[in-house]
Amino acid sequence: MDRNRDKWVEERLAALRPDGEWRANVSRGLSRLRERRQLNGNRKRRWSWMAAGAVAASLPLMAFPTTRAFAQRCVSVCVGQSNWVHGFLTRNASSAVPSSVLVKPTERRMAPDFALADAFGKPVKLSELRGKVVLLNFWATWCAPCAAEIPWFIEFQRTYESAGLTALGVSLDEDGWSAVRPYIEAHKMDYRVMLGNDDVAQAYGASSLPTTFLIDRSGRIAATHVGICGKGEYEADIRRVLDERQ
Amino acid sequence: MNACEDRLDIETVFHAHYERIARVIARVLRDPSRAEELAVDVLLKWSRNPGAQGEKASAWLYRVAVRAGLDELRREIRRSRRESLVRFFRPSPTPEDVRAAREDQDRVRTVLAAVQSRQAELLILRSDGLSYEELATALNLNPASIGTFLSRAEHTFRKEYIKRYGPQ
Repeated sequence: MDRNRDKWVEERLAALRPDGEWRANVSRGLSRLRERRQLNGNRKRRWSWMAAGAVAASLPLMAFPTTRAFAQRCVSVCVGQSNWVHGFLTRNASSAVPSSVLVKPTERRMAPDFALADAFGKPVKLSELRGKVVLLNFWATWCAPCAAEIPWFIEFQRTYESAGLTALGVSLDEDGWSAVRPYIEAHKMDYRVMLGNDDVAQAYGASSLPTTFLIDRSGRIAATHVGICGKGEYEADIRRVLDERQ
Repeated sequence: MNACEDRLDIETVFHAHYERIARVIARVLRDPSRAEELAVDVLLKWSRNPGAQGEKASAWLYRVAVRAGLDELRREIRRSRRESLVRFFRPSPTPEDVRAAREDQDRVRTVLAAVQSRQAELLILRSDGLSYEELATALNLNPASIGTFLSRAEHTFRKEYIKRYGPQ
């Protein structure tokens, strides 16, 4: 009975699928996003100019005791409206601080070892990659944020391979190679991709995707990134770990 | 552990989530271009909300997206009710009436707009393929109770559907 009910509701809800192979138009969305951000920026700028003007106009009123209270009220309202300036400045200041997410070498834990087969059936054993810096990415073909990161990893592998970087992808697709192989070809993933399993995912605590680990030359976890990260942050971490002495 | 999404710029998040968010909203609304607009609104809202940025950014985005879709759906239904009063006096069917022949979808949408928001959110996100764990994160629910919540939501949906359109 329960199963029938699920199926009945599922069928009704399935009717809501957008027509055919409908996909949102990304370029239209992006230009809309930029337009709206520009508009918001202009609005904020206009407010701050108006607030600055009102403060300037209120200041002379401070000179007279009878108008002082009114002027003070005007200033406090205007300063309140300009709070975004404070937010803007503090946000910029915090993002200007170089992100230091690397775990100190003395506090790093060993990365759990695993042996998985890659797309060509060749075994990949993590412990055999000692001496190299490993970028280990847990991903899946259905995971949109993962797709955004993959081109970066391809680029990192090409740029830093000679310096000792090895990028590894561990796919957690339930459909196995039938889903992963075409994806690897379509996205021209030229770093090694393996099919993961629950044991490996659990050993690394990769419960959400994407999750990426940067493993130093001694096989210890130097950084853990949960969720999609900025490309620059990955690159900065990779460079720092590559520069470390073993 | 580094929850990176707090330092991401909005365009990176856009590329990572826009298509899926728009698709979730498009499931709820009749007009896909409106779904695209709302998806952009959701991303802008995300960028203005420091509390939404962090490890659970994607959960936040899906939750707000499905809510935005449902709110818009309810507005749409209210609007069409008002218009149907006007249409009563019009003799011939308009192209819009013809389009309204997508009865199935409209019925499901009407029922979703009528049931509790939390239940509708649960049903939509589940039908978009989110796992129990993802549903729990997106809707701030206890993962152990998701099965119960879902089954209750399905029961309510079925009851409301039958009340309005009879057993199918």
